[in-house]
Amino acid sequence: MTTTTRSPRHRKPAVARASRLVGTGTMIRLALRRDRFRLPAWIAAHGLLVVYIGSALPQLAPTKEDLAGISSLLSQPVGRMFTGPAFGMDDVTYERFFAAGYVPYLFILAALMNIMLVIRHTRKEEQTGRAELIRASVTGRHTALTAALIVALLANIAAAALVIVLAVMLEYALVGSMLVGFATGLTGLAFAGVAAITAQLSEFSRSATGMAGAVLGVAFVLRALGDMVAVGGSALSWASPLGWAAQTAPYVEDRWIPLVLLAGFAAVTITAGFVLQRRRDFGASLIPPRPGPAHAAASLGHPLGLAYRLQRGGMLGWGSAILILGVINGLFTQAMLDAGEDMPPQLSAVFGSEQLLDGYVGFLGGFTGIFIAAYVVYAMQTLKSEEDAGRADTVLATAVSRMGWLSTHVVVIALGSVVITAVTGLSTGLGAATVTGEWELVGSLFLAHFAVVAAPLTVLGLCAALFGLVPRVVAPVGWLLVALIGIVELFGDLLDLPEWLRTLSPLWHLASVPVEGFETMPMMVLLGATLVLLAVGLAAFRRRQVNVV
Amino acid sequence: MTTTPAISIRGLIKNFGSTRALDSLNLEVNQGEVHGFLGPNGAGKSTTIRVLLGLLHADAGTVEVMGGDPWKDAVALHRRLAYVPGDVELWPNLTGGEAIDVFARLRGKLDRTRRNELCERFDLDPTKKARTYSKGNRQKVALISALASDVELLLLDEPTAGLDPLMEVVFQQAIREVKDAGTTVLLSSHILSQVEVLADRISIVRQGSVVETGSLDELRHMTRTTVIAETDHPAPHLAQLSGVHDFTEQEGKVQFQLDGDSFDEAMQSLTPLGIRSLVAHPPTLEQLLMRHYGDAATGAEEAPR
Repeated sequence: MTTTTRSPRHRKPAVARASRLVGTGTMIRLALRRDRFRLPAWIAAHGLLVVYIGSALPQLAPTKEDLAGISSLLSQPVGRMFTGPAFGMDDVTYERFFAAGYVPYLFILAALMNIMLVIRHTRKEEQTGRAELIRASVTGRHTALTAALIVALLANIAAAALVIVLAVMLEYALVGSMLVGFATGLTGLAFAGVAAITAQLSEFSRSATGMAGAVLGVAFVLRALGDMVAVGGSALSWASPLGWAAQTAPYVEDRWIPLVLLAGFAAVTITAGFVLQRRRDFGASLIPPRPGPAHAAASLGHPLGLAYRLQRGGMLGWGSAILILGVINGLFTQAMLDAGEDMPPQLSAVFGSEQLLDGYVGFLGGFTGIFIAAYVVYAMQTLKSEEDAGRADTVLATAVSRMGWLSTHVVVIALGSVVITAVTGLSTGLGAATVTGEWELVGSLFLAHFAVVAAPLTVLGLCAALFGLVPRVVAPVGWLLVALIGIVELFGDLLDLPEWLRTLSPLWHLASVPVEGFETMPMMVLLGATLVLLAVGLAAFRRRQVNVV
Repeated sequence: MTTTPAISIRGLIKNFGSTRALDSLNLEVNQGEVHGFLGPNGAGKSTTIRVLLGLLHADAGTVEVMGGDPWKDAVALHRRLAYVPGDVELWPNLTGGEAIDVFARLRGKLDRTRRNELCERFDLDPTKKARTYSKGNRQKVALISALASDVELLLLDEPTAGLDPLMEVVFQQAIREVKDAGTTVLLSSHILSQVEVLADRISIVRQGSVVETGSLDELRHMTRTTVIAETDHPAPHLAQLSGVHDFTEQEGKVQFQLDGDSFDEAMQSLTPLGIRSLVAHPPTLEQLLMRHYGDAATGAEEAPR
């Protein structure tokens, strides 16, 4: 009797705290069950990157001299911008080349996996209303977030372990491999924490994912700028979680301290996520949604206006990302020229010219072309989503014809590609002219960009044709083509790819201005092919049924 | 009779792979009538409507909408009709108000006064982004847009599935108004009572074909009421009345099916026996189909979408 009267005062708060986590075990099992294919695929992608690079490097550079030759690709400022601080390139080994050139992409992969995982199991569930059923049963307020974070932790442990084991199997040093694995896992956890915060900020999973992705983007830019300053990075590199991960300098300096920073960042962001979650209602957000217009603008009453409105978000998102990348590349021109003296032949293979400046200008045009092609595939994919979700049904049930619906979207995407290309070309040119003082670069960079625009338009034509004929292959074929265009453009000469493979890339057929003179013929052929493909797509879409299950 | 029917389907067949979704379906909807298109889930109602919209191609049979071919003349016909899908999907980043306007303007003209009035009546906040809407609110968006368009034919696929009873009443008023204005309505539903209130004629679809069609009077034989009564005195003689069917008696309780026009007679026979309790309810669609077509009519059908 005496024991029972005394205990409630002490036990009550403990019970209340624990009750916020009731059902976590079940929720973890549910999450693992729902992600039973997705999560292993993400983790396997980590392993695949290690195995692929590990086996490809000895092929690409059979001797140490070969490796030393291409290592300047990574130690050049441009290389450092895309990869990392490039430790140990003066005495390069396979493991160091792997760590400098490819491990940074493991970090990004881990960050993306965690952002999507956490948002998928928290805000997405709340937005769809599924979490309401869960919360109405015996589960606590923090159950879903806790379960999501534990699943993220498990996934990160699995990914880290896989990376370590595979790296060691490639006979890379144990300590360095462990640093790579831990840095990958902790970067993942750090971004799981970022997602735990953004999940509280918006009512919508897409905005929450977008915000976390923006944090990743800022982290990348800070690291890129910081690492461009000097080999081994600068103070700015230490302002970014991606920078910390890279500063472990695996296989070279083998530093453990940056891992503490990553773990601390993860702890702080995760705690902040829980604190913010306590301050909001279920389903609500800390950033309240604003009311929109009660009436549609007049332009929305026309299929073209509607297509523009639906495509606008993707166009602005892709457009600004491509533009920013272009401007950074433009501003980088002078640093490129300064470093030009000791440029290895491999680099000129990428640029396709001995004339460094011309090569760089031509390279940037093609570089933008790859991303425009990616935008085109993304945009054409939205048509498939419109159809699958049944929204195309409702529009096609009005006085909008199949031709009208598809062609307006295609026109908007085509104009979008051309405008993004032109604006990026001009801005890249202005950036390059500002740092070099050579104003004719504005014109030549604009031309270099303009010269390749036919390639993404061909991709657009192909996607439209596929959408009419076999809509389900638009995404796989489209992305495969983008990957091919990218590989041929960036590594075609370096990897000595066979001729037939290169001809599959529409970009390869176009002249790289100003290294080569502008040629009208290939451009006309590609534009002609685009028109034929568009006609095929429109005709096929007119004949096929819509949204058949 | 002399005018062309608003919808005329003869021998419509539609296959999805090896499954036959529509099996020689016949349907005729006259101009100006509200036609109830009734059937269990997965009977083929949505598929029929999507053929009528030209979104699906008929494998066999003739289909005419307002005298035109829905596959070939889709655009011209769509100017004259409005469609409300059973599962309304909207663009998450457009407001409800914008979506209403978009659909109506793409069809042709939007009656702005009527649109605002309908928003009021259906109690819809048009300034909210569509992704915040519940299923019922998304349904309202499509309904308001359709009702605010000046069209001759409304194709409504389970239009009130997500609406509460209060909104159901608003919906019924609105349908009566457009009917008075001469609009033809095809109203699909799986709930008999919903259709009964509005429909001039009803077609019942089951496993891809129409098994019964006619006015409510003509379907009277199908709309027998189930009566359960408890009386002080036994009532075996009720079984002899012409409108009474399936009579059973158990422990002072009688249960029987009653034709719609035999109520008076049956009640007059019951009253002298001293009624202690009386329950009468109309048949559900499931009961109807089960009674007329056996067990295969319900439950066994899987929804194709």
